[in-house]
Amino acid sequence: MMVALTLGFALLFPRLTLPFGFSYIIYLMLRPLTVKLTSGPMKQRGLFFGLLALGLFFLMFPFLATIYNTETDLMSLSQKLPAVQKILQDKFFLIKVKFFEKYGIRLNLDPVNYMVSKAEVYGTNLLATIPAYLSSIFEWLLLVPLFLYFFFRESSHFKQLMMTAIPNQIFEKAYVLSSHFNTKFSEYIIAKFIEATIVGTLITVSLLVIGFPYPFILGFIAGVTNILPYIGPIIGFLPAFFIALLSQDPDITMWGMIIVYGIANLIDMVLVFPLLVSKIVNLHPIIVVVSIIVGSQLGGIIGMIVIIPFIAFFKILFKEIYKDLSVQV
Amino acid sequence: MSYEKDIMEKMESGEGPSDRLDIPILKYLWDASPLSFGSKENYHEFFKKISVLSSFSDNEVRIFTKYLHRREFSSDEIIFRQGDSGYGFYFIFNGSVNIYASQKPNSEDIGDLVIRLEKRQYFGEMGLLEEFNRRSASVVAAENTVLLGIFKPDLDRMLELHPVIGAKFLRETALIMANRMGQLTRDIINLKKKVRELEQKI
Repeated sequence: MMVALTLGFALLFPRLTLPFGFSYIIYLMLRPLTVKLTSGPMKQRGLFFGLLALGLFFLMFPFLATIYNTETDLMSLSQKLPAVQKILQDKFFLIKVKFFEKYGIRLNLDPVNYMVSKAEVYGTNLLATIPAYLSSIFEWLLLVPLFLYFFFRESSHFKQLMMTAIPNQIFEKAYVLSSHFNTKFSEYIIAKFIEATIVGTLITVSLLVIGFPYPFILGFIAGVTNILPYIGPIIGFLPAFFIALLSQDPDITMWGMIIVYGIANLIDMVLVFPLLVSKIVNLHPIIVVVSIIVGSQLGGIIGMIVIIPFIAFFKILFKEIYKDLSVQV
Repeated sequence: MSYEKDIMEKMESGEGPSDRLDIPILKYLWDASPLSFGSKENYHEFFKKISVLSSFSDNEVRIFTKYLHRREFSSDEIIFRQGDSGYGFYFIFNGSVNIYASQKPNSEDIGDLVIRLEKRQYFGEMGLLEEFNRRSASVVAAENTVLLGIFKPDLDRMLELHPVIGAKFLRETALIMANRMGQLTRDIINLKKKVRELEQKI
């Protein structure tokens, strides 16, 4: 009943529930840090929140710089689009000529123009929706800090209030399991966030060093797509691959870029992923792979991301059930 | 150290009361006031009279009560059964409970009455400490009862956020268990004595 009501509310008011969910994820990420800073002999709540505000204020500068750089990258990309179109058309023309020479069939296809016209339509639609996006960004800028403040201040009280609705017969188990789930989810989000930051930073810095174009936007894409297990690194690699493929600049080396992505993903797979995510989530690698496939079938991209903490939680749940059954037998 | 003592010491050392408005002290005074009708105030008075928390200062009791869950049980409602997984420690805030033990755990029969616990008494402390605890007896509300429970996740959180209070509470819980063990040892000695007497008679 409670779950149905919550889902109904979430679907009815997405403008409210989306920033609410986002704030909850940020809260889960920051909670262990707050515990460390606000407990023990050094506890200073005022100091902690002051430092947090100061940190957020100064963090805005690199963030804005990244946005600025990303914007310049995007601007230069859009300026280069006609050139890219020309290169693609030339390459396709060569393919058509070779095809005619070999098989004697004339290809009457023009996929490049078709793709470009589609991209133009999408681009125009995107531009038309930008004011709506901006207004929702301002709404989020107002709502997320507000929700975050109340999560930090009232979360335990709110949780206790929610728990009063649980029947006495299942209260103890439900409470302990919900705490386990929250802990697992929080730890998983932190691990993935750290992993994405490490990979994104590694790729940005390395691309800067080898002088590859658009290092900020490519590093950002690599970091974000890294959240997706297994296929994420490949998706993150594709934009850089196409830039290197289509580039006429002799300074841009395909091999240098491949080595950068290869080493960054190798570090991620060999060091970061096993040390952070697997240890925290405590699942066998085969279970991780199988659950990601199941997650993609059940809920697409979102399913792939959220399946791991759910599986980790179900492991605990099954352990509890097994414990109960082993006593009853 | 209580707030009263803290203020007295400051006054004695010549510091004098601060000009600034001290919100935690105001909050404490509001919570602790006998004229306040808030439920937390009742908890505060309740725990001040419980021997287990006698070493807690006023402020520590106030913080401790934040971790508690209020659960209401109607008469004859089962609080937990013998053999269930246990995660919590309960204080009887209002009403009373009966404790039953059965030879066959997890059966429908809850067994024989062992003891009746009244207001300000407590049970279930093993559930808080043991990794895989099984309830050693069934507990049933003897009348409409209000319990204040603290559970494993609460204790973990308390140890993280308020380690001194958490450690004090753990020490008190260990003392309860030590007392129960002592009682158990005395009971076993008495039973053995009775068995020997019966054997001699036969």
